[in-house]
Amino acid sequence: MRRVGTIAAAIAIVVTVLASPALTQQQSGPVLAPVPKACEAPGAQVIADSPLPNVAIALKDRKKINILAIGATSASLRGPVSGGYFAVVERYLEAAFKGLDVQVVHRGVSGELAADAAERIKTEAGLANADLVLWQLGTSDALAQVPVADFFVAVTDTVTWLKDHKIDVILVGLRYTRSMAQDLHYQAIRTAIKEIAKKEHVLRISRYEAEEVLEGLRREQGVPMSEAEITDASYVCMAEYLARAIAAGLFAKEPKSPLPKDK
Amino acid sequence: MPRAVNAVDFWRGFALVSIFINHIPGVFYERFTHRNLSLSDSAELFVFLAGWSLRHVVGRPEDPAPTHNLIYRLSGRALTLYAAHMTIVMLAIAMLAAAARILENPLILEWNNAAAVFNDPVDTHIGLVLLSHQLGYFDILPLYVVLMLVAPLIAIIHRQAPNWLVPVSLAIYLSALVFQITIPTWPTEGQWFFNPLCWQLVFVLGFTASRERGPGGWVRANISRIRLVALPIVILGTLMVWFRWWPDATRVPEPKLLFIAGKTFVTPLRLIQFLALIAVFSALYPLIVKALPRLVDFLSMLGRNSLQVFCTASVLSLAGQILRFYFRGGFVVDTILVGTGIILLGLAAWLSEWRDRTQKAS
Repeated sequence: MRRVGTIAAAIAIVVTVLASPALTQQQSGPVLAPVPKACEAPGAQVIADSPLPNVAIALKDRKKINILAIGATSASLRGPVSGGYFAVVERYLEAAFKGLDVQVVHRGVSGELAADAAERIKTEAGLANADLVLWQLGTSDALAQVPVADFFVAVTDTVTWLKDHKIDVILVGLRYTRSMAQDLHYQAIRTAIKEIAKKEHVLRISRYEAEEVLEGLRREQGVPMSEAEITDASYVCMAEYLARAIAAGLFAKEPKSPLPKDK
Repeated sequence: MPRAVNAVDFWRGFALVSIFINHIPGVFYERFTHRNLSLSDSAELFVFLAGWSLRHVVGRPEDPAPTHNLIYRLSGRALTLYAAHMTIVMLAIAMLAAAARILENPLILEWNNAAAVFNDPVDTHIGLVLLSHQLGYFDILPLYVVLMLVAPLIAIIHRQAPNWLVPVSLAIYLSALVFQITIPTWPTEGQWFFNPLCWQLVFVLGFTASRERGPGGWVRANISRIRLVALPIVILGTLMVWFRWWPDATRVPEPKLLFIAGKTFVTPLRLIQFLALIAVFSALYPLIVKALPRLVDFLSMLGRNSLQVFCTASVLSLAGQILRFYFRGGFVVDTILVGTGIILLGLAAWLSEWRDRTQKAS
């Protein structure tokens, strides 16, 4: 239990650090349920960098949100998450917004490069009438040594297209592993995702920083943790945070100026 | 003696090499496969030619194979395909596990939809056996297994009511498009990457086109005129891919799948372009035979031994992915990987024919 608590605290700390100016929950918004014990940390709050205007419109007009989950390992299962990663998001949002119907359509193709996913995302978004795309990306491109510039262009084009078509997007970034910590290409892809999110004012969920801090804490405290344990905890908590990020994003305002620098 | 060099085996060999290259994402030579200039890719060609090959089992109209023999042979073929699929999937899982261990990189365990195998092994192994869980790039053979299981039905409909085969197949295809009927995956949520309800039409068209009578006979009799219509379609398809003139899926009318380009449902845009492509490129075969006889020999050998070569290609392409990651890709690495891979595909085909020759001789 102590280990889970440590993991949760680490992730929560990282998410707090990553969060740009704290979003004040607007009076009209629902009271967001606290994160589960396993992911709880005092003072931590997951906050959207950017609003999700199209999801907000869908909520207001239709009481229904269509989410398209796409990308490399979007549908991967993790033991503690009943029904998979995105089931947590669906359950949480439906509980937070009474009467809201959340439809998550899974169209993850594992191993797919961002450039190949680009056209498919546009097609699938149209078929699903998506209000929001959760795009888990970067790992396949990093492992396949796709040039960073090509990756940047492919992702930016797709994000721009989605925004032009009134579809919100959340980028779910790379994972942390010790073996890739010094890998220049992997880090460059990670940086590219960060830059795209900042440039396009879209929300980015990064597992990397969370897992990196976890690793640091593990070393400090001498608590033995396998890669699998870190991954499990990360998936569980990231699903919880992602759900809250969407909920918070529904009540965020459009940024008047470019977002502050990511830390 | 292996069968003589012919266009079907040549194009099937071509499709196999293309699939091998396309299944190493990011490889330098990927940009030279025909999918970069075509709405359709090698998957359509592979399935169409699989349908074409069905004629060898069904037999000639004047000398049809007995129905029970047909069912027995095609069911046996489906079982062989299934066994081959399970073998290469197990090899792939072991390769990913070994690579993750040797390179101390858990990310490799999540590659190509393998994450569930390692994280939720109980359900996922059931899914693997039921074909409801498929690894990325290892998803064509499950389609082929399903097609081979329904092949006796296709052959029987063709035999009993030949004029009904294409309309029935088309009706199933259009129903899947209009109602967006998919085959779900389990335990991970999603859908079969190759929707059998749609891809069966490609298979049926391949089979129908191979027959001397009916639509196949009509195509043969009118191939020159068909090519005149097909050429502009091929050119338009190339322009669409080159300039990214994709129909906007958010703006096309319902049923949307009738108007967009999608691989899972092999939508009409892809299918029409593919049929036009084979009509045009079938004219090139005699020229290729004259100009590049050794290439034709080689690709035909691959095509004659398509299952062995396909399985080898699947495993080699995964090995290529892992090696590219380890050696960081680049032109030299990619050239060695693709060059060695194609030689090994040739070796797999040669060994298969050598074994057949040896068995016959003894």
